[in-house]
Amino acid sequence: MKPLLVIKDLHASIGGKEILKGVNLVINEGEVHAIMGPNGAGKSTLSAVLTGNPAYEVTSGEVYLRGQNLLTMEPEVRARAGVFLSFQYPVEIPGVSMTNFMRTALNEKRAYEGKEPLSAKEFLALMREKKRMLELPDKLNNRSVNEGFSGGEKKKNEIFQMAMLEPCLAILDETDSGLDIDALRIVAEGVNKLKTPQNASIVITHYQRLLDYIVPDFVHVLADGKIVKTGDKTLALELEEKGYEGF
Amino acid sequence: MRVSKGDIFERVFINEPGVNLLIEQEAGSRVKIVIVNLEISKSRGLEVSNNITISQLGEGCSTEIYALAFLHGSDSVTTETHVTHAVGGGTSVQLIKFVLDDNSRGRFIGDLKIAPDAQQTEAHQTNRNLLLSETAEMRTQPQLEIYADDVKATHGASTGQLDESALFYMQQRGIDKQKARQLLVNAFMKEVLNTIGDERVREQLLNSIDGVVE
Repeated sequence: MKPLLVIKDLHASIGGKEILKGVNLVINEGEVHAIMGPNGAGKSTLSAVLTGNPAYEVTSGEVYLRGQNLLTMEPEVRARAGVFLSFQYPVEIPGVSMTNFMRTALNEKRAYEGKEPLSAKEFLALMREKKRMLELPDKLNNRSVNEGFSGGEKKKNEIFQMAMLEPCLAILDETDSGLDIDALRIVAEGVNKLKTPQNASIVITHYQRLLDYIVPDFVHVLADGKIVKTGDKTLALELEEKGYEGF
Repeated sequence: MRVSKGDIFERVFINEPGVNLLIEQEAGSRVKIVIVNLEISKSRGLEVSNNITISQLGEGCSTEIYALAFLHGSDSVTTETHVTHAVGGGTSVQLIKFVLDDNSRGRFIGDLKIAPDAQQTEAHQTNRNLLLSETAEMRTQPQLEIYADDVKATHGASTGQLDESALFYMQQRGIDKQKARQLLVNAFMKEVLNTIGDERVREQLLNSIDGVVE
């Protein structure tokens, strides 16, 4: 088992307030880790810090992606190196078409990997193939990024982008929120299809429901900025039953 | 000048040092003006002043005014529009956009008048401005005088900066920050450029804006 992501004693704050208070976590290739916990525990802060969101400040600790120091990398370089965040609230970008956005993103990643850019024809064929997997409509290409999308379409669009970019580390931040059961199934199936022995995912969720579809190898409880308990998938069921009150 | 009954007057002005138009529209005529200031000198600090005055004197006229200015250095552009609906049943649409970088200055004065007899007029005036630097300055003075009661009129003006959350979203997909800025600025400008009817001119301008953000 090769470690993909190593987090050592990570502390982070926003606006001077400490949110992460010493997170330790090792994620190996091929693993699915669920992070659960009460609201305000720091779940979304962890995803923001791993992706380099400038609103957060890392005060101490280390993070390595395949041995590379992640924290010194610009957000776009982390993305090209394979860190992908499925946003809890995907951003609408009026006037920037999905096609233009996705093609720019994919070709930046390919350049980083020393690959040639895809031709328009190859790119469109790839879009078609991945959209079918997420049951997304063809008209998506000409629409602006996330503009006017329903809640379910936005979340599907996140997983679609993940399918296009094939990250080594996918962080799904509350991907289940706002999804009805059919959309949840499609999104989860998409995530499962993208699983390989070399990549890994972090599934951040408040509820156990998503974990019926995306079965985790490990479940961690994040409370007050620290991982306070780690178990297997049965821990999620236990939390569903007893709540987070003990933490 | 006068646009005769039922006639169409359509003009695109690109990088003119100043556009001054005084137009009277007869019944059923259509006027469409597009003004684009994209390549003003970065060093000389050119001052451009556009003044568009249009009066709808006959019933059922349509007036469209679209303007885009992208300013650098100490450039300064003032765009003034005076649209008067003297009689009813007409429509007017105005979309005025400024992108301001460095120490540039933009000014929009928009005067929209709907006379007492101009019932069933539909008039929309929108001014949107994007500030790319802390030292750029935009002044907006919309002025509406509506004397008829059976009209549909809207106006809106806003000045803001690039959406940080959109920039981060694009960076998270591997797009570098500079390129992300460019995509957002281009998206903002395209709304005006897309109103140009002549495909060749439109495509040329759309191509030229790739790479203007530094």
